[in-house]
Amino acid sequence: MSAVLKRNNVKVLGQGQQPMIFAHGYGCDQNMWRFITPAFEDRYKIILFDHVGHGQSDAAAFDQAKYASLDGYADDVLAICRELNLKDVIFVGHSVSAMIGILAANKEPERFDRLVLIGPSPRYINDGDYVGGFKQEDIEGLLDFLDSNHLGWSSTMAPVIMGNPDRPELGEELTNSFCRTDPDIAKHFARVTFLSDNRADLPSVKTRALILQCSQDAIAPEAVGRYMHQSLPGSEFVQLTATGHCPNLSAPEETIAAMEAFLSDPTPARAVA
Amino acid sequence: MDQGSLIETAEELYESAPCGYLSTLPDGTIIRANQTFLTWIGMDRQELVGHRCFQDILSIGAKIFYDTHLTPLLRMQGFVNEIAFDLACSDGRALPVLANLVQKRDANGRPMVHRITLFNATDRRKYERELLLARQKAERATQELKRLNETLEERVAQEVAERLKAEEALRQAQKMEAIGQLTGGIAHDFNNLLTIIVGNIELLQRRLPEGSDRLQRAATHAMEATRRAATLTQRLLAFSRRQPLDPKPIDVNKLVAGMSDLLRRTLGEVVVLETVLGGGLWRSQADPNQLENAILNLAVNARDAMSEGGKLTIETANARLDEAYVEALAEPVPPGQYVLVAVSDTGTGMDKATMERVFEPFFTTKEVGKGTGLGLSQVYGFVRQSNGHVRIYSELGEGTTIKIYLPRLIGSDEEPAEMPSKSPVMVRGMGETILVVEDEPDLRTYTTEALRDMGYRVLEAGDGRGALEIVEQHPEIDLLFTDVVLAGGMNGRALSDEVSRRRPGLPVLYTTGYTQNAIVHHGRLDPGMHLIGKPFTYAELASKVRRMLDGDQF
Repeated sequence: MSAVLKRNNVKVLGQGQQPMIFAHGYGCDQNMWRFITPAFEDRYKIILFDHVGHGQSDAAAFDQAKYASLDGYADDVLAICRELNLKDVIFVGHSVSAMIGILAANKEPERFDRLVLIGPSPRYINDGDYVGGFKQEDIEGLLDFLDSNHLGWSSTMAPVIMGNPDRPELGEELTNSFCRTDPDIAKHFARVTFLSDNRADLPSVKTRALILQCSQDAIAPEAVGRYMHQSLPGSEFVQLTATGHCPNLSAPEETIAAMEAFLSDPTPARAVA
Repeated sequence: MDQGSLIETAEELYESAPCGYLSTLPDGTIIRANQTFLTWIGMDRQELVGHRCFQDILSIGAKIFYDTHLTPLLRMQGFVNEIAFDLACSDGRALPVLANLVQKRDANGRPMVHRITLFNATDRRKYERELLLARQKAERATQELKRLNETLEERVAQEVAERLKAEEALRQAQKMEAIGQLTGGIAHDFNNLLTIIVGNIELLQRRLPEGSDRLQRAATHAMEATRRAATLTQRLLAFSRRQPLDPKPIDVNKLVAGMSDLLRRTLGEVVVLETVLGGGLWRSQADPNQLENAILNLAVNARDAMSEGGKLTIETANARLDEAYVEALAEPVPPGQYVLVAVSDTGTGMDKATMERVFEPFFTTKEVGKGTGLGLSQVYGFVRQSNGHVRIYSELGEGTTIKIYLPRLIGSDEEPAEMPSKSPVMVRGMGETILVVEDEPDLRTYTTEALRDMGYRVLEAGDGRGALEIVEQHPEIDLLFTDVVLAGGMNGRALSDEVSRRRPGLPVLYTTGYTQNAIVHHGRLDPGMHLIGKPFTYAELASKVRRMLDGDQF
């Protein structure tokens, strides 16, 4: 396996030709897509991966400088596409990965056919008239809590509390097996994610995009989804009845249906400016 | 009371268990909560149940965690265990809890309800914080240890290099000491011999018949050669720190300024002399004649290093040698305040090997016959004997600076010494009686004859005992002239002490070619004692004796 595929724990499934790459958001790994991908395996080539520092990726490949902004993660997406020689790509990104997909599509627009953005947010912190859903001090509170190592998030960060990062199996026995994240990388990713501001990257997107907006999403409220829709040229907006931030888990059928409708529609919603 | 009321009901256990119980719908809406939980967060059942979501009563970090981690985990594995986060209580407090969540699903696998158990983790959180702090401390210690290990080799190499440098410096110091002892011994013996030679040549010159010009010239040549030999032994003594020094309070600026004519003549026309005299210069204590000699020697060396011309700079300044500086020196130099005289040239400079040997007597880079190799030895010996310090800086092709540090003189009201007159006046005796004590017969003969020739009455003794007998018998003695080192168990100092008891106030003139003895402490004359260094000339002896008898202060 090539270095890139190993680094990002890339999995390729499905019987179709057109590639569909799924990118997980902050807090989990490619397991996020377990209820979605079966619906597309017969017609698409499914590509799953973990961001560096998450799931089964190679945490040793983590580089503070490279991943100091979402660009580093977008470059990884493009590296995977190049490695697998993917064209006409349908990019499905959840949460922060929706923005990673937008950055990738801006870097290599010709490679992408469509973007499916689930619970996207270009900026989490309120800014003047812009409503991001969080006050600056909320995010600082989150980051402080992460820094104090207590959100202990005993499940995912047990090794920190156990004091045995060299023996993660100790954490394994005691806590939860999914979505394991290296605690230092998780803190770093939280900082990059929640302090990011990619509003300026939206108008230049040339790829057709679908925005899936949940109800009562504390991470990406409806106002943010509307802002995305207005700022992304030619984007489509679907309001889901599903609540929370993870419709791919809590309401897979509704999510799949919205995606199917978008993917089967051959014409752009409106001309790209 | 029936048996039933003694046994707790399931309801009682649920409501008052030491943990919080909650049931929520999959979207987080709270449908049941126990009293323990309500008490913890300070809310009524009515305002909570059916109206609020679990994520609403979490701190902001926990709220984000709930959406990003907890919900996905619950959906995927059906439970989460021991999640640590904070509840946001109604009074604003944050309550640390550990949460276990189980997702109940229907027959089709759809989530129906979440059962949530919460433990108050306040104490545990404190304990965790202590553990984390201890671990951070241990990590820092480990890092430090690792760093020490990594630099071990480097530090050992550094230590060894420093040790080697110290040993090399010690070896150099020991070498200088050994050469000093050797040259000092030789010079002492030569001085005695030269005194006899000088005396006898002078005797010959005075007694040669009129008209024997050729013989007079031969005697003059012999005398000149002897004087040159005496200069050599003087320098050897200087190097070995055994020359008799006569330290006086001096103003180094005045001394340097007074030398400028002499220096200009010495340097010739191709070398420019610049003197930079520091303002507010402290006074120092040293033998002014020898300091002049030292500066002159340095100027001559500098001139020879600048055959094509150049610039000689003499600077003076106040200087402080600190602990760190003196510790690095091989020779013992006390830290403190010094007066600095620096002589710099723009000449050829010297390499490291030359610098290491440059103070050794007879080491010279000059052609045979051009130099004695004793100039810098004199400087070194004189400065060390004066409790000072010499430092040499040189770069090949750039030039050389030699710095002399002389100790600052503190708390003396004495006026700086005027330079002594260079030409002693020839004076004669007026029949005064002088007792000469000298164990070397030839030297005694020369001295007594010279003194008689000058017009004195002379008594003589070969040792201390003999001298004391003569003193008993001859109360008319006006001056005791004694060698410092005497055979027969009583040295000049002891003799002088004895004589002083019998004849208080009798002037005593010492002579020696050597100063490491009773009369000279650390190379210095004791205050009030008078000394004439060997070899002495007829004129010097005449002048010194006359002034002693006249009671002159000098």
